[in-house]
Amino acid sequence: MVKFRLNGQEVVSQAQANQRLLDVLRQEFRITGVKCGCKEGECGACSVILDGQLVNSCLVALGSIEGSTVTTIEGYRETERFAALDKAYASVSAVQCGFCIPGMILASECILAKNPNPTEAEIRAGISGNLCRCTGYNAIVQAISIAAEEGKGLW
Amino acid sequence: MEAISKPVKKKDHDAKMSGRALYVDDHVLDDMLWGRLLHSAKAKARITSILLPQLPEGYYVVDKNDVPGINQVHIVQDDTPVFVEDTVEYVGDPILMVVGPELKQVERILKEIVVVYEELVPVLDMLKSDTVFFKYNYAKGDMEKALQEADRVFIETFQTGYQEQAYLETQGMLAYPHDGRMTVRGSLQCPYYVHGAVAKALGYEEKDVQVIQDVTGGGFGGKEAFPSILACQTAVAAKKANKPVKVIFERREDMEFTSKRHPSICTYKVAVKDGEITGMDIDVLFNSGAYTTLSPVVLQRGLICANGVYRLDNLRVVGRAVKTNTVPCGAYRGFGAPQTFFAVEMMMDHLAKEMGLDSLELKQKYMVKQGDATSTGGKYHFHVPLPEMIEQIDELTNYREKRRQYRNQTGRYRKGIGMSLFFHGCGFTGSGERDIIKAVVRIRKNPDETVEILASNSDIGQGLKTTFSKIVADTLGISLDRVLIENPDTDRVPDSGPTVASRSLMTVGGLLRRAAERLKDEWKAGEEQVIEEHFVEPDFVIPFSITEFKGDAYPTYSWSVNAIEVEVDTLTATTKILGAWGTFDVGVPVDLNIILGQMQGGFLQGIGYASMEEMNCNEQGMIRNNSLSDYIIPTALDVPNLVTKIINNPYTHGPYGAKGAGELPLVGAAPAYVEAMENALGVNLNKAPFTPEDTMRVLQGGLK
Amino acid sequence: MVKSYHPVSLQEALAIRAREAVTPYAGGTDLMIKGDEKAGYLFLNNLSELKKITEDGEYIRIGAACTFTAIQESELAPAILKAAVSQIAAPAIRNLGTVGGNICNGSPKADSALVFWATDSKLRLVSSRGERVIPISEFYLGRNKTSLQADELLAEILMPKIGLNNYYYKKVGARNALAISRVSFAGILEIEGGRIVNCQTAFGAISEVVIRRPDLDAMLSGKTIEEAKKAVKEEYLRAYDQAILPIRGRISAEYRKVVCMNLLRDFLESNGI
Repeated sequence: MVKFRLNGQEVVSQAQANQRLLDVLRQEFRITGVKCGCKEGECGACSVILDGQLVNSCLVALGSIEGSTVTTIEGYRETERFAALDKAYASVSAVQCGFCIPGMILASECILAKNPNPTEAEIRAGISGNLCRCTGYNAIVQAISIAAEEGKGLW
Repeated sequence: MEAISKPVKKKDHDAKMSGRALYVDDHVLDDMLWGRLLHSAKAKARITSILLPQLPEGYYVVDKNDVPGINQVHIVQDDTPVFVEDTVEYVGDPILMVVGPELKQVERILKEIVVVYEELVPVLDMLKSDTVFFKYNYAKGDMEKALQEADRVFIETFQTGYQEQAYLETQGMLAYPHDGRMTVRGSLQCPYYVHGAVAKALGYEEKDVQVIQDVTGGGFGGKEAFPSILACQTAVAAKKANKPVKVIFERREDMEFTSKRHPSICTYKVAVKDGEITGMDIDVLFNSGAYTTLSPVVLQRGLICANGVYRLDNLRVVGRAVKTNTVPCGAYRGFGAPQTFFAVEMMMDHLAKEMGLDSLELKQKYMVKQGDATSTGGKYHFHVPLPEMIEQIDELTNYREKRRQYRNQTGRYRKGIGMSLFFHGCGFTGSGERDIIKAVVRIRKNPDETVEILASNSDIGQGLKTTFSKIVADTLGISLDRVLIENPDTDRVPDSGPTVASRSLMTVGGLLRRAAERLKDEWKAGEEQVIEEHFVEPDFVIPFSITEFKGDAYPTYSWSVNAIEVEVDTLTATTKILGAWGTFDVGVPVDLNIILGQMQGGFLQGIGYASMEEMNCNEQGMIRNNSLSDYIIPTALDVPNLVTKIINNPYTHGPYGAKGAGELPLVGAAPAYVEAMENALGVNLNKAPFTPEDTMRVLQGGLK
Repeated sequence: MVKSYHPVSLQEALAIRAREAVTPYAGGTDLMIKGDEKAGYLFLNNLSELKKITEDGEYIRIGAACTFTAIQESELAPAILKAAVSQIAAPAIRNLGTVGGNICNGSPKADSALVFWATDSKLRLVSSRGERVIPISEFYLGRNKTSLQADELLAEILMPKIGLNNYYYKKVGARNALAISRVSFAGILEIEGGRIVNCQTAFGAISEVVIRRPDLDAMLSGKTIEEAKKAVKEEYLRAYDQAILPIRGRISAEYRKVVCMNLLRDFLESNGI
């Protein structure tokens, strides 16, 4: 039994402590915005924010997050910061197949939370663990940059 | 910019951005079982027996004996089995599926199954294959004479490797029986391909099969034919268990056992007389893998563009797709063209050096123009914008000057720049559209004055829902939100053909434009109206004969010029990409952002193909690079911002002037990259991907 | 099902470790790739005692459960270590992965471990029986084999404070992020009064364990740069040329060998040797 905070709510998981957070979120809590792309930490599709930091939920054992705070796209999409990113991503049509997007948005948040005025190089480093096979990254990098500019004060 | 090109918020943006979009793995049905395949561990063997553990209640093993219809997956030919019969033909060949309520139990059972193989000798090397699946040849002029009269004949061989689509969402399918019917839904590009295949495997009438495309996490060709196989297997399992069955591939399973780009070996024999190229004699060899799947059509496209964008009076092209005991290859963005374009572009570069010219100079001399004959005796009916594209790239990159500067470098870091010229034939090769696909679309106007698009083409990220809707909305003069488009469901949409060959927007979008024009004329307020349109071949097309390879293989072509600049670190033999530029003619963009996104994404896949995406088999025929850590695709840190320009060259027969777009940007990256590596290293290179190990071999071999 | 534990102190962790066959879990990034269904974990990720970075007169002391991100952001962590950890994988993995896990996983490709090798760092291993401090070279027994006892935990890495400023670090991976090292090299060179007083090098991803040859590096000790360049350099390189025998891997041994030698030479030449 592991207690943690998920998208603002106290939850208790009945799963074994050695289970992947990814599987617990998808199966037990039906959090489908967390995507499974590889289960090896190589794609970033399952990224979530754990106690303020971006992590690959496939590489987190449930037992390690007792008392922690987990944010997925389902929680994050309710925020003002999401709204700024949403507008920016839409303006450059940065979303193609969409499978990397929930993870990519949370990575975007973590970049801006650490550094509200990132350079292109800092943005690229910040999303370097989130593979996207569709866009060539241009539009995503541009979207984060636009969000930083338009969302001044939010981060 | 044309008005239609003005970007809008994509139709699928909100659902995907917010994480609400449901992909196949996100669906959980009551009583649903999980399925997992048992793949052959041997490249070629006879199965002598299969020892099963005791199955718990509610668990099933599904194999060839459970296929109620025909144990063949209908693709082009039908040699791919749903489940293997008595022999396995590659490592990965599906033997059976275990299904049951708990995935972990299913996995445990799979591990306990023992397959007893009588091993046979596999053929792993395409050069040693004794089975030619497909052989085509065509010629124009008199190649023999050109060779006989030549002053010099240059012969070179070029190799390209596998390329894995590496879509972020692995293959997945969900099948459920109900009311005597079977519904199959999943990650797929071509609902009606799946529909036909499932009906045949189940022995059902077509009306009793329903196929729905779920939100699809990338395809790039990898979800053209393969989903038909997985759908048949899943549907057979669902039929046997009489319950919903879901199968989601693991990443390693997906990388090892699903179709990828054909490895190729191309040999070019070029006749030169009096300083002029008088002919090319080209031999193309594609490794099909164990089954035929889409190899005939991939090979056809590869052969048709084997002479690149160059005008040649004498040409002879022979191509074979051969069987090996390796994973069956199939469709991947570019569809045979990236292989032969790589070869011909490198060949031209090497010829130029022999003639004392820079490669661009030579290429410009032979570049085709409007009115010229194509390789197959068709015609370039429309303006060929290559000259202005070359100048645009030169202006952006200072290509000509850099190319000179980068000769004869010494020192640790060495730079290079390369350029490629290429096209992509728009739509299906030859008469497929007219004779086989016969696309049908409908639009339905509802009494509430909304209009729904009914077509079987799928949005797999390329923006089709948005571009289709823009065409209909703009034609009707109504707002975009009054145009509705759902993911295709074969119960609701007619067969407008597959989502392949850069055809959807040009061909199906064109039908939608016509349908919308008619609806506009016949519009009756408050009433329901359905308009249907059927494909008609444009009248200018010189009919294509596939048996003779004669006529217009494509109605029109999309054009592009790429340049890539690199810097090689001679200590580590690693290469940094300093810049990548592409200019693209895809007709009028129906949405500029969408087109730029397509060009950038395809360009980066091409850069990966050229530089780092390497996949090989070991001596047992197993793919060694079966994970995203072993098969490397570019991250955001591996490329600079890609510079992509769109030129305006409307296609008179496309909707709003649009033509094929999706595949084009992948086709020319490899030759541009490898030509840049040649420029940096000062040698001729003949393979893609060109990796740091390859670079090191050149450096160790003594670089001048 | 094997039980997992959440100790609140190192002492409690050691007591559990002494009596149960549990797998120490710090960042989890290596463990979870395997995803062993039968694993019982001893969760160390919340033990503040293992997450400190401090210094004393002799050492910079790095808690084994410090994440790579924590090291990147630490003021005390030396630049050579930051150079290595900042190139590990990608931010999301650096936020979880720890130096202790990197070392205890036993891989010769571990990027932070390489730096500890090159700097002759020591490991403080603790158990309920007591503690021992050993050079990192004694910790590794072979590929994925370490001398960590069943009741022990790695508590701290002790980096000697000498000679860390003049360093050379190069990781060669397949790409610029999410890359496993194909070759990695770290070297430090201390020069005092015009003479080399200390040279330490280490090569990763080449052999079963990191290659660290103090006997060969000693050839440079006591020499002036000029002497080293004229009299010792080629002999030194020849000695390493014989000592570096890459094991077969996905990436050819030949490639990795040449890169090692190129980097070693560059390390010397960038110091004027």
